[in-house]
Amino acid sequence: MNGDPPDLDRLDRPDLDRLDRLGRVDPPAPGVLDVALEVLWSAVAAEMLATAPHEQRRIAEPGAEEAAGQPRREDPSAP
Amino acid sequence: METDAVLIERSARGRPDAFVEVVRRHEVAVHGYLARRAGRQAADDLLGEVWVRAFGGRGGFDPAHADARPWLYGIARNVLRAHWRAGRPADQPGVVEAVDPWEDVIDRLDSAAAARTREMVGAVRALPPEEREVLLLVAWEQLTPAQAALVLGIPPGTARSRLHRARAALRPVLAGEGS
Repeated sequence: MNGDPPDLDRLDRPDLDRLDRLGRVDPPAPGVLDVALEVLWSAVAAEMLATAPHEQRRIAEPGAEEAAGQPRREDPSAP
Repeated sequence: METDAVLIERSARGRPDAFVEVVRRHEVAVHGYLARRAGRQAADDLLGEVWVRAFGGRGGFDPAHADARPWLYGIARNVLRAHWRAGRPADQPGVVEAVDPWEDVIDRLDSAAAARTREMVGAVRALPPEEREVLLLVAWEQLTPAQAALVLGIPPGTARSRLHRARAALRPVLAGEGS
């Protein structure tokens, strides 16, 4: 456990371990976990796409940096 | 290794992909939770929904809990309840809160159980649902009573009381099992 205090109920488990037999299931078939993970990745990608262009648009807008409290960057091509 | 809480917090602060590592840590356990209660096919079908719901609700995760399992089991429990509700006849809308698919669980377990185990199954079946749920979170998912309380949204003391009563009820069966 990640930092949870010792638990007396947990230390006295022999009877519960017998119950454990009732709940044994085979591990998921190959590919099942990947399919579920793909569903998650779709949600992650959608969120990244929803936020990234917004940030880029905001910075690209004239005066956006000053509005955000940042100084305007020098134009590197200026003489 | 970073805790689940650190990764979830990072995923909520501009790095949503950090959430994938949390899922990888617990995907077998959460699939097992679903499979024990709804069967493997349903577990296969519902696992992705658990991840999407958890990802969408990660802002509500309490970072005081380093281990995300109780939180994930709580979400899986809600997904299961919705799954079971969807399977109920439309003419029984009033029983939504009384959903208890234990009969189905028993039927599945019983088909593979030895005769001596059936006695235990019968004793588990006879438990009040709220006691059975705590007992099986501790016995099957290896949670502490405090973690089981998190899954169920009840005070830790309540979970301990329910577990105590469930174990007391099963003790005669469990005591005779090894003889």
